[in-house]
Amino acid sequence: MEYDIVIGLEVHAELKTKSKVFCSCKNQFGSTPNSNCCPVCIGLPGALPVLNKKAVELVIKAGLCMDCEINDKAVFERKNYFYPDLAKAYQISQLVKPICVGGKIELKDKTVRLNRIHLEEDAGKLVHSSRAIGTLIDYNRGGVPLMELVTEPDISSAEEAVEFLTKLRSILVYSNVADCKMEEGGMRCDVNLSIKPKGSDVLGVRSEMKNLNSFKSVYRAIKYEAQRQIDILEQGGKIVQETRKWDDNKERSYAMRKKETSQDYRYFPDPDMLAVNISRELVSKIKDSLPELADQRFKRYVSYSLTEYESEILTRDKAYSDYFDKALSVYFEPKTIANWFLTDVMSKLKGQDEIKISPEDLALIIKSVDDKVISTKVSKEIFEKAWEEGASVEKLIKELSGNIEGEELRKIVETLVAENEKAVSDYRTTDQPEKVLRWFMGQVMKMTKGKANATQAETMILELIKE
Amino acid sequence: MKEIEIEEIKRLAGLSALEFDDEELEKFKGEFTSILNFIEEISKANVDGIELEYPTHDFDDLRDDEAVEGLSQEEVLANSPSTKKGSFCVPKMMEE
Amino acid sequence: MDISKLSLLEIVEKLRQREVASEELVKYYIDRIEEYKDYNAVLEVFEDALDRAREMDEKIKQGFEGKLAGVPVIIKDNILYKGKKATCASRFLEDYVAQYSSTVVEKLIESGAVIIGRANMDEFAMGGSNENSAYGVCHNALDFDRVAGGSSGGSAVSVAKSLCACALGTDTGGSVRQPSSFNGLVGMKPTYGRVSRYGIVAFASSLDQVGPITKTVKDNAYLLSVISGYSKYDETSKKEEVEDYLSKIDGDIKDLKIGVCSEVKELVKGLPVEKTYFDLIERLKSQGNEIVEVSIKDLSLVMACYYIIAPAEATSNLGRFDGVKYSRREKGCQDIDEIYIKSRTSGFGKEVKRRIMLGNFVLSSGYFDAYYNKAKKVQQRLKKQTLDALASCDVLLLPTTCGEAFKIGEKIEDPISMYKEDIFTTLANITGLPALTLPCGKGENGMPLGMQFVGKEFEESKLYNLADYIERRRSEWNMI
Repeated sequence: MEYDIVIGLEVHAELKTKSKVFCSCKNQFGSTPNSNCCPVCIGLPGALPVLNKKAVELVIKAGLCMDCEINDKAVFERKNYFYPDLAKAYQISQLVKPICVGGKIELKDKTVRLNRIHLEEDAGKLVHSSRAIGTLIDYNRGGVPLMELVTEPDISSAEEAVEFLTKLRSILVYSNVADCKMEEGGMRCDVNLSIKPKGSDVLGVRSEMKNLNSFKSVYRAIKYEAQRQIDILEQGGKIVQETRKWDDNKERSYAMRKKETSQDYRYFPDPDMLAVNISRELVSKIKDSLPELADQRFKRYVSYSLTEYESEILTRDKAYSDYFDKALSVYFEPKTIANWFLTDVMSKLKGQDEIKISPEDLALIIKSVDDKVISTKVSKEIFEKAWEEGASVEKLIKELSGNIEGEELRKIVETLVAENEKAVSDYRTTDQPEKVLRWFMGQVMKMTKGKANATQAETMILELIKE
Repeated sequence: MKEIEIEEIKRLAGLSALEFDDEELEKFKGEFTSILNFIEEISKANVDGIELEYPTHDFDDLRDDEAVEGLSQEEVLANSPSTKKGSFCVPKMMEE
Repeated sequence: MDISKLSLLEIVEKLRQREVASEELVKYYIDRIEEYKDYNAVLEVFEDALDRAREMDEKIKQGFEGKLAGVPVIIKDNILYKGKKATCASRFLEDYVAQYSSTVVEKLIESGAVIIGRANMDEFAMGGSNENSAYGVCHNALDFDRVAGGSSGGSAVSVAKSLCACALGTDTGGSVRQPSSFNGLVGMKPTYGRVSRYGIVAFASSLDQVGPITKTVKDNAYLLSVISGYSKYDETSKKEEVEDYLSKIDGDIKDLKIGVCSEVKELVKGLPVEKTYFDLIERLKSQGNEIVEVSIKDLSLVMACYYIIAPAEATSNLGRFDGVKYSRREKGCQDIDEIYIKSRTSGFGKEVKRRIMLGNFVLSSGYFDAYYNKAKKVQQRLKKQTLDALASCDVLLLPTTCGEAFKIGEKIEDPISMYKEDIFTTLANITGLPALTLPCGKGENGMPLGMQFVGKEFEESKLYNLADYIERRRSEWNMI
């Protein structure tokens, strides 16, 4: 028999704030254990949560990027359970009135509807050491702001799930809501999966897989779980509703203890907190300030006559796209800059992710070539030196362009102007004299093999061709 | 008179992370039954049509996102019954 | 000079005039605490109290004019003071040392107070007799065989026995007012949010308020001005400007309309407090005050409402006492679940366990709507009805307690009879309104009986003004 796979995702992403969601401790990864903590983080008696404005703003922002409705009131509730990573024995989360409801993300071939996005706090970190040492608890992560996004069960394959997550990550990164550093646990995903006979309307019993923290494990876990469920049904068995844990090393999942699957969280509004009024003015203010997302930048690049392929690569990583836009702001030649980026920069980037030349410098090199201040060959040398040795681009351009100057240069310029009367008169009549000037500059560079001092050359040319 | 079952008390004890021996359970059952009947008064209230309101404040009243130093690690761990490597410590848990 | 006869304001004045030194006062109180230690009102005298007193004496000499400069104060054992133990009278927190100070302690210190010790209480503020303390029962200041009241029993007895100049308690369902009444004192439960809860070990967050316990109304007004105010660490504290309550007491009450609630009149019938209640109504009427008949239809539901909401919040607030991060951890536990269960089971007393269980019942799936949610809706309606009643008058008059302080042991085995003692006090917590008690008569055993005024939000000054008027006529009116 053939089956349909029905998948819903719950995605957690740590928000990009300076401080935690309910106190002013640093939101910082990788600190000494229990060094970013205060009475709130470690659940000391008498400590009270005080909500971070930025965290609320970021969740609204995320919601607006995904066409969610923003509730006019956000209520915070306590989710009660005992676990050592949860200092207060409850997590402050949202159930009844989350910040965002509904919404959608467009994939290539389908729309995935969202159920909600809410704001909650992250838990501390447990390190399971040896039996002699035991389990160690670090509350630095406790209270880090976390958005939880819940989809409708609209996803039907592992490939689609990964496409969804890629798109979601891009939206969150482009909107500056979250960094989504998977390796730091900055983005985590739970998968709810069930299967049903192809075309059937009746949903199957679902299992939930917890805490998948790479796209690869999401992909593998879905493949594995779908097959596991199909095998059970094929053998005439019954699927039980359960929570399963994916083991990335063994590439299989196993059922978690029953106890953890049948919890009664006793949600109720946190009496230490006030609900937050979210005015429509605030929502439209945030809406008006939304940054350009990957899709919009893609369209803009295509409008610059870049190919879809080029535009796709440039927008795949926000750092690339930001770099490209920065370079454009210095020298607006999209096609040339894209070429340089996709060939020279990208080939340097293999195996590392730091771009070792600033976008301003790259733009300067390219402009200098276009202005015939330096030759293409020299430009590559400069690029190489700047990247590898961190040399100053401006200085290099000067050095490598400017050793023919003074009287020697004047003679060359005089000869050139004398031999090109037509161009001189063009300069005087055209409405784009700078083009003519650039032509003269190009000629000077040609005659000097790119070694003319550009500044001097320009002054000299102007002296001679101006009326 | 509503009477609470021992099983129910055990369920609540589980949620409460408390334990009672059999004798305590019996005694508790009696007390809890009378307390439940005491709060059962609430069932007489008709609350149809009441929409629950929440105390609120405005977005602008929220805390600005500025980070400040909290407690030192030493202060954080000061009252802990067991610490190792700058962390709170409990017996090794199963890795789930 | 008999220090034990002085009011807080008199002490403040004598310190200011340097007729007495803070050091002298602190020594006096420490001796008295020792002398009356059988009453078990004070759990610990802070060892730096004398040093702090000397420091304040020095500052006073240099012209420091803080409102409580050099004044010895005792705080309830659930109010955090950095570096000092705070046990909430629980075994669980036996060794717990506060790592930060509560807002109220900061304010006390800033105003120059010398906090000399921490007072006994019902464990985690759950109780109305101070018999639920892991460190033993606290005895009534006026009759050793009777309860101090609770949960702020130790604070009240400390004031009544002159073991300090004034004290702070906390009031979740009457815990400041009831022991104040039982010991013949003035106690205030301010408007919810008037005083910050930051650093107060929470019992029921939406109901808890810190309140002053003093010998006189003016003392109380003075102390409330010191501890009130917004804290950026407490979203539920209010930004309304803090009044100088003392200066608002002007002796003029003639325009005050006194609301008398028909449901209260019914409840009072047959209770020991009946005569005192009706006598006060007559007295006020004879002063020319208009007595307005009002109604709070759902008043009969206030107890159920309180005993659902308070335990629900408490059960969640007390989850953090799990044996992992601080204080008690039962020895020899093999795994985390054992730590939770054994530490909590051995660390909490009976009443605390009862309320944790009750809270989990009303919150748990299947019961949530019928109990917790319903109680929240009833609360909302009760508040509306009470505000409606207050629309036609300035204050509501209620008894504070059903009768005199009862005998130790009398009710401890019967939780319901104990809970029912809170019948007149919980309304102010459930509605968030300010309420003040002052002694207005004596019962058949010669013990004091308190009357209570409930006011509109942030109208504490009206309560003080009225109470002061009565206080000054107490002997004329044969109340004491």
